[in-house]
Parts: sequence; C-alpha cells; structure tokens
Amino acid sequence: MIDWLDRHAQAASPLHRWDPRYKLVGLTILMFAFSSVQDLRLLPAMLAVTSGLYAASRIPLAFLLTRLRAPGFFIAIVAILLPFLSGTTVIARIGPLILWKEGTLAMGLIVAKFISILTISLVLFGTAPFLTTIKALRALGLSPILGDMTLLAYRYLYEIGNDLKTMEMAMGLRGFRARRPSSRVLGVLASLAGTMLVRSYEQSELVYKAMTLRGYGHSPRPREQFQAHPRDWVGLAGVLLVAAGFVAAEIWLRGLGG
Amino acid sequence: MHIPDGILPITISAAGYATSGAATWHSLRKIGQKENAQASIPKASLLTAAFFVASWIHIPVPPTSVHLVLNGLLGAVLGYYAFPAILIGLFFQAVMFQHGGLTTLGVNATMMGVPAILAFFIFRLRRVVGKESHWAVGLFGFLAGAAGLGMAVLISWGLLITTIPAHLDVEAEQASIYALVLAHVPLIALEGFFTALVALFLQRVKPEMLEN
Amino acid sequence: MKPALSISQLTFSYPDHPNVLQSVDLQIMPGERVGLVGPNGAGKTTLFLLACGVLKPDAGEIRLFGEPVLPGDFHPEIGLVFQHPDDQLFCPSVWDDVAFGPQNLGLSKAEVASRVEAALSLTGTLELASRPPHHLSGGEKRMVSIAGALAMQPRMIIYDEPNANLDIRSRRRFISFLETSRETILIASHDLELVLEVCDRVVLLDEGRIVADGDSHETMSDEALMEAHGLERPHSLVYHADPHHGRSGEVVTRREI
Repeated sequence: MIDWLDRHAQAASPLHRWDPRYKLVGLTILMFAFSSVQDLRLLPAMLAVTSGLYAASRIPLAFLLTRLRAPGFFIAIVAILLPFLSGTTVIARIGPLILWKEGTLAMGLIVAKFISILTISLVLFGTAPFLTTIKALRALGLSPILGDMTLLAYRYLYEIGNDLKTMEMAMGLRGFRARRPSSRVLGVLASLAGTMLVRSYEQSELVYKAMTLRGYGHSPRPREQFQAHPRDWVGLAGVLLVAAGFVAAEIWLRGLGG
Repeated sequence: MHIPDGILPITISAAGYATSGAATWHSLRKIGQKENAQASIPKASLLTAAFFVASWIHIPVPPTSVHLVLNGLLGAVLGYYAFPAILIGLFFQAVMFQHGGLTTLGVNATMMGVPAILAFFIFRLRRVVGKESHWAVGLFGFLAGAAGLGMAVLISWGLLITTIPAHLDVEAEQASIYALVLAHVPLIALEGFFTALVALFLQRVKPEMLEN
Repeated sequence: MKPALSISQLTFSYPDHPNVLQSVDLQIMPGERVGLVGPNGAGKTTLFLLACGVLKPDAGEIRLFGEPVLPGDFHPEIGLVFQHPDDQLFCPSVWDDVAFGPQNLGLSKAEVASRVEAALSLTGTLELASRPPHHLSGGEKRMVSIAGALAMQPRMIIYDEPNANLDIRSRRRFISFLETSRETILIASHDLELVLEVCDRVVLLDEGRIVADGDSHETMSDEALMEAHGLERPHSLVYHADPHHGRSGEVVTRREI
C-alpha cells in the first residue's frame, strides 16, 4: 500500500532525469507561487503550466486520478458549499437557494489551485524513488536527525502496517467485531494500539544495537553525492522564472485593481 | 482537520513554515542536549511509524467510523520528539496519501505539534498527584488527549473560517463555527478517553515508555 | 460422519501473486491429525486463511463440519494459531488475552472464567495469568496463544508453524500437549520429525497443488518425492545400517525395533 509511490519512479522522462535536489527546490517554489495566486485571470496560465509539467513527467492519467480522489472529496465539499454560502452578488436562484457570484469564483480559484498544487507534488515525488527524495533533502541540508528519523520511519512503516493488519485479522478470527464505541471495544482497540507501540519500542532497541554494531554514531555519515548537469541548472532556472512570473503578475494585477 | 493545499493564503502558509521551523529547531536542540541522544533516534523513528499506523485503526462511530489523531498521546509518550515525529508523519501523509498538503505542511505541523507538546506538559503534571497511581495516569491521559485534539481543532477551524474568501454572511459564519465546534466535542472526548486507555495499558505493560 | 474440513476445487490468487492455490481438494475427518508440509510459498498459510473464512476463494467450496464457510463470518468451531504469537497476543495480561475469544462469544462472566482457567491449565500456563504477554518467553507465548484458541472450544485447530523459535524443552512440551488434545488437528510445519511423531497422515503442498496425501510414514519415506518438492526425508526415516528409530521416529534400542 505504501510503495505505490515508487510505482512510476523508474520511467524515463525529463522530470525523472532532473537532478532530485534541483527538482525539489524548483517545484516546491512553484507550488508556493501557485499558492499565492488570488487573481482569477492567472488560472488558465497556472493550469497550462501544470498540464505541461504533468505531460512531461509521463505519469499515467489513471494514476493521477486515483491520487486526486481521496483529497478531492474534501475539496468537493468546500466547492459545493461555497457558491451557496458566500457572496454579495446574486447569479441565480434555485428554489430557496441563492447562487452567489463571489462564492462561485472563490470555489473556482480553490479547486484550480488545489488540482495544480497536488499535480505538481505528484510530479515531484512520483518521478523518483522516495528514498532518493529523502537523500536529496539531506543533500540540501536537512538536519541529520530528521533525515535519519524519516528514513527509519519509512523503512518500518510497511512492516508495522502489516503487523496491524495481521493483528486485526487475528482479533477477527476470535470473533471481535467493532460495531459500537462501547468501553469494551475501545479498551480492545486501545490494547491493540498500545501493543503496537510496545512492539515498535522493543524492536527499536534491537535496531539500535544492530546499527551501532555496524558503526552508527561513530562518525558522521557521508552525504549522498549527486551529480548535476548543466541541463539541471537550466530546468531550475526555467521553473524559477515561471514561478517569479506568477508572483509578479499577481502583484501587478492587484495593483491594477483586479 | 488537516488543511489541504489551495485554500490558505500564501502568508499563512509561509508563517506556518516559520513557526514549525522554529519549533523543530527548538525540539532538536532539546533532544541534542539529552545524554545518549543517538540511542533515542531509532526509538523515536519506529514510534513515529507506529503512531502513524495506529491512527489507521478504525474507531466505530455509527453510522461510520473515525480515525483518531492521537497527537496528545504522541506528545505524552515522545515528549520533545513529538514535534519532529508529527512533522514526519504529516510529510508521509501528504506525499503518500495526499492527505493534508505540502504548502500547508508547516501550518498543519504547527497546528498538531504545538498541542502535542502542550499535551506532554499536561501529562507530566501527574507527578504532582503521584505519577504511579492508575487514576492519575488515566485522568491526565484523558486531559492530554482531549487538549491535544481540542487545541488542534480550534486552530484549524479558526484558520479556515478566517481565511476562506470573505463576503460570508456574519450570522452564517457564526452558526457554522458553533456547529463545527459542537460536532467535535464528542470526538475530543473520544480522543481523551482513548488516550487514557492507551496510557493505562502502557503503564501496565511497559511503564518506562511513559517516563520522559 | 461429516468431514471436519472439506475443501473442493479451491482456487485462489492474490492481486500480485496468481495461482497461489490451484484446484485444491482436501478432506479431513473428525479426530484426524494431519500434517501439511511443503516449501515456503507453497500456499499453506493462504489455505488456512481460506479455511477460516478470512479470505474469499476465487473458486471452489469450503465446508466446516458440513456447514459452508462464509467469508467474514465468525467460525468458532475452528481455531487458527498463527506462526508468530506476537501477532495474536495483544491484551495487557495473559488472562485477558485468553478471555478475549469467549467474551466475543457473549458468554457470562462465570462461563468465561471457567473456560479461561481450563485453557490455561491445559496449556500449563496458569501461573502466568496476570503477566503481560509481551514479557513472556517464546515458548510461554506459544502456549498462551494456543490457550487463547482453546478457550473458544473449537472442534478443529490449525497450527501454522507452531515450532518456529521454540527451544527443545518447549518443543517437547508442545508435542506432549498435542498428544493429549482431542480436537481435529491440522499442522503446517518444517519440523518433519514433529509431523511424523504427531500426525498419522501428511499432505504435501507445493506451488498451490496437493502432490501427495497419505500415511505420514510412507509418504515422507519417499526420497524422490520429498526432494522433488524442496523437502528432505526426516532423519529417522533415512535408512540406517544400524537402525535406532521406532515407527514414530523416536530413538529406540535395537531390541525394541
């Protein structure tokens, strides 16, 4: 369930070949630039840039849609409510409901930004193995403590998740059905959570011993070596220019009194 | 309760990164000051993963089920490690499950991490009444869990209500705030109760996990 | 007499692993003790999960004591003891863990208590009742997980690799326990001597198919068969110039053979 992220990480596209550090910096800044957009006139450009980067990444559409589905649900709720709740200018009346202009426009803005930022984040994290992305963060200066914690947590996430599934199966085999939040059910689930914490805690002591036996903590570990090519610089410069363009356009349009 | 991308203005997102950066830096410093900080890294890492997985447990709340946040429990057990743990957990959630957001990572981390540290202090208060006693663990566990989620809910909804594009009818705004807070009260109680139960379990089976 | 477990034409695939079980037929009569052997990945655990109704078969039928097994339903007449006791023991005390099953059956407090005591006594773990399972040794955890299954008073118990990580004494204790148990038993194990000692019948599963099903002594003596499926003959069945094993593998003196 967790390794789906790496499913398309081995393809060959310009995004896949981009140096992970530059990709991280460039696309993150782009996401923030999109997040700063408030003027509706910039939406088409934003969606165009997003589509372009997505197309270049060669990530399958079906994959993108499945990833958008769950968070899209929450956004959909906001999207449905806003046009009817917020605004001062009436567009239409549907029975007792009033469709407001400002609310509808705000909804459009939120939905477009959400889709764009999420797609960019998928392009960023789906075009390299997760482990490589963490190493890139370390190379960019992420604290070694945070880096180690992230790697170890990621490493054991799958196993601990499997343990949970197995334990839930074992409980079901002995007849447990969680139907109501009775104190018995909550007590059982609390014991389940507690057991997982205890098992992980005890396993970590073994992990630590295994790590120290192989030299952990004796000397600082070498940072990952990444090799940048000129085209990586070019890509970064290009993306930063686009991001700056959006921010500048936003400021300019606001000055015009959009 | 995690705020997704696309809703918050850039100023808030940036401020969120600033506050979570500061909180992480502060936490890492406190961690580094402890003796044998290195040994505690695998511990905190695996517990981060375990807490993440524990939040996947379905708690039945008819007609549906909910997932608990457990930031209060995380604070009680991990102490200062709670903030990096929550940051990493949210990062995983955003990247792997598109739950929460990346531009809003800082905001979400602050919203859940600061209450977690607060929960740590609340749980520690039980020393005042004798930390070994069952009812102290249960009571302060409940308070830590409830405070952890309660504060996060307040921050989260406060942010959403004040930053969602305006022109909102004032009465509608107030009504929606009341409704949302009311809807969360039972969840906050549930979280507190569950935290108390897990704390009591840990006290019975592995009490050293509650020592910080 | 209805079979305890009746499996016909059972077929199952995982999404990323096709043909884990291919048209498997198996009948186990009440009171039988059957060993299931085969290399890793043969499909043994999957077979067990299907038999207990945890997984849904792609094709085929499973019946427990004559009644069809419906996936998702609770079937207390069959118990499954997992390979790793840590995956089954989760309560803060041994007593609570063994009581878990009877409580789910909706029994009265008194009835639950009597079942727990009986199960703990049978497995020799009565004095561990108030201890957290997390603090027990491997052998103790194994017996407690068995007690948890016994407390539901199943008519059939499946053991998945029960011997892994048991020391010699615990292994012997487990074998003695099995000799006295009255349920229908199905054991998957790499410990072929145990299978020889406890089971009269052995089923050989490889790559999702049953390749042999018969008397344990005869089947496991077949060197060609065993080696063709990633196994070896148990030591006691290997031809000895100086024979020193009895029929069930135990070491005997020459006179007793």
